[in-house]
Amino acid sequence: MKRLLKIPVWKHAIMLLVCFLCVFPLYWMIISSFKGEGEIFSASFWPQNFTFSNYTYAFSEMPIARMTVNSFILAISMTVLHLVTGILAAFAFIRYSFKGKAFFTILLGLAWLIPVQAIMIPNYVTIVGMGLSDNLLAVILPYAASAFAMLNLLTTFRSFPDTIMEAARLDGDSDLRMLWNIIMPNLKSGIASLGILLFITNWNEYLWPRLVMSRLESSPIQIGLRSFISSDTNLWGSLMAATTVSCIPILIIYLVLQRQIVDSFVRWGTK
Amino acid sequence: MQKRHVTASGMGSTVAAPRLRRLDQPVHGTGIRAALYSLKPYLYLLPGFALLIFWLYRPLSQTFYYAFVSWGMIPGTEPTWVGLDNFTRLLNNKDLGTAVINTVFYTVGLLPFAIVIPLLLSVMTNSMNKRAKNIYRAFMFIPMIMAPVSSATIWRWLLHPSNGLINKFLQAIGLTSSNIAFFSTEGVATWAILGITGWKMIGFGTLMFSAALTGVNPTYYEAAALDGASPRRRFFDLTLPLISPTIVFMLTMSILFASQWTFSYIDILTSGGPSGTSTNISYEIYTYGVANCDGGMSSAAALLFMLVFGAISIGLTRLSNRITFYDKNG
Repeated sequence: MKRLLKIPVWKHAIMLLVCFLCVFPLYWMIISSFKGEGEIFSASFWPQNFTFSNYTYAFSEMPIARMTVNSFILAISMTVLHLVTGILAAFAFIRYSFKGKAFFTILLGLAWLIPVQAIMIPNYVTIVGMGLSDNLLAVILPYAASAFAMLNLLTTFRSFPDTIMEAARLDGDSDLRMLWNIIMPNLKSGIASLGILLFITNWNEYLWPRLVMSRLESSPIQIGLRSFISSDTNLWGSLMAATTVSCIPILIIYLVLQRQIVDSFVRWGTK
Repeated sequence: MQKRHVTASGMGSTVAAPRLRRLDQPVHGTGIRAALYSLKPYLYLLPGFALLIFWLYRPLSQTFYYAFVSWGMIPGTEPTWVGLDNFTRLLNNKDLGTAVINTVFYTVGLLPFAIVIPLLLSVMTNSMNKRAKNIYRAFMFIPMIMAPVSSATIWRWLLHPSNGLINKFLQAIGLTSSNIAFFSTEGVATWAILGITGWKMIGFGTLMFSAALTGVNPTYYEAAALDGASPRRRFFDLTLPLISPTIVFMLTMSILFASQWTFSYIDILTSGGPSGTSTNISYEIYTYGVANCDGGMSSAAALLFMLVFGAISIGLTRLSNRITFYDKNG
């Protein structure tokens, strides 16, 4: 308390204002989604009569449940694939010396300089050629490995002491056993924090799904929101209901794992 | 015959363990075992790198080719070689100038939200107790994890010309008497997009700078205070150099996000309008390719975009490597 009083009130006032500006749009989204037709255009900060009609309408107009499931399938499978391909590659880098190591490092290092725009047309042609448009695989396959995840894991794995690996090798552990039983348990907090980052990024993915998905039933929820906006602009209550649904998974995860999420961003930034 | 010697990197040179083989030393000799052993690292690399090569480097090389051909992206049609025609068409395109100017506008305009304001806020909160700091952080960080599409939808509602809360607020306090159509007024749309991008960025920046400030060794400040350095001098001569790696990191991030996030905002809120005034490079590349089916010009623009951004990114990485030696005792 003493400590708190030392800080001038204006500092807290500024911070409260900033927090308010950051959170208010979300509050407004949720509140608007519960306002009925008569009330949606009023500036009241609390709905006079709570109604779920916006949600029932949004769910009847759009396959929201289906799209949310799609989003989960995409975000989870891409995160798992990024982690698995990244862990295997990072392990190869720290466990062995092999011809072409420098070449592979350069390949990784340059990958993040390539913007989506520079690869989207050829990849689009490939996906269409494979007959995968409107298939979830069209979103997953081109992004099944992520250079960002591989680089991040490589940094994490490099922090693992050689001596322990050497000891495990002398104990006669096979490589995969060494990776699974010794390295992974020791690095699990780093891997988990990367996993959180990847899940959020993958959940929010927009440009590529927009390009390859056209049917709503096969799209992630982000694409559904977009089509809702362009189809009918005056149903703000239902649009806010759909937006709320699209945010709920991320917000719940944030509520539960707030500390870890903030930490994983800090870890990423201070590497 | 296996080569045996002391492991230098693993065990430390003082440990005499002549029976150990260096960890990463390949097995010498012949036979299937040795062959398999030398293949092993490549097996681990295979899944990740095969995907990267097939879905990143292969299409990139194709984009190089498409940049020099004319092709309507219709299956069954053959691209025809046109040399530098796509590049000349691109440079003569009247929208390109606006797109380049806006790309610079969005990138430079994001810097106050990514660096200046977060730096001020984090210095301001640095002396607060941990609990208060964490609570503020938690709230400020929420926009960062929101999907750009969801943020765009919410802001579209808040900034609605006739029924949006912000218009009502501005009229209530008497700042304006007419409804402002934020996303369809020339000159206003770009600022609206910049504001939304900045809204998402502030919490992230503040978090990064707070973490950097926490990492600064307090003895430096004690020493500086003993030497009679004013708070102002301590900030410019001590804090700023010590957290310069974070400044470079946020600079890189704002360049990256300025093009990534604004794509969603432009696509959802303005479609580049009114009359093409809010577009930027990444949105134009998308429009050339997807809406106009002009694969050649889209590829040419993408290549130029990549070269410029690549040069900037490499420059920033070098800068960051040069200045990270500052706090070796930290």
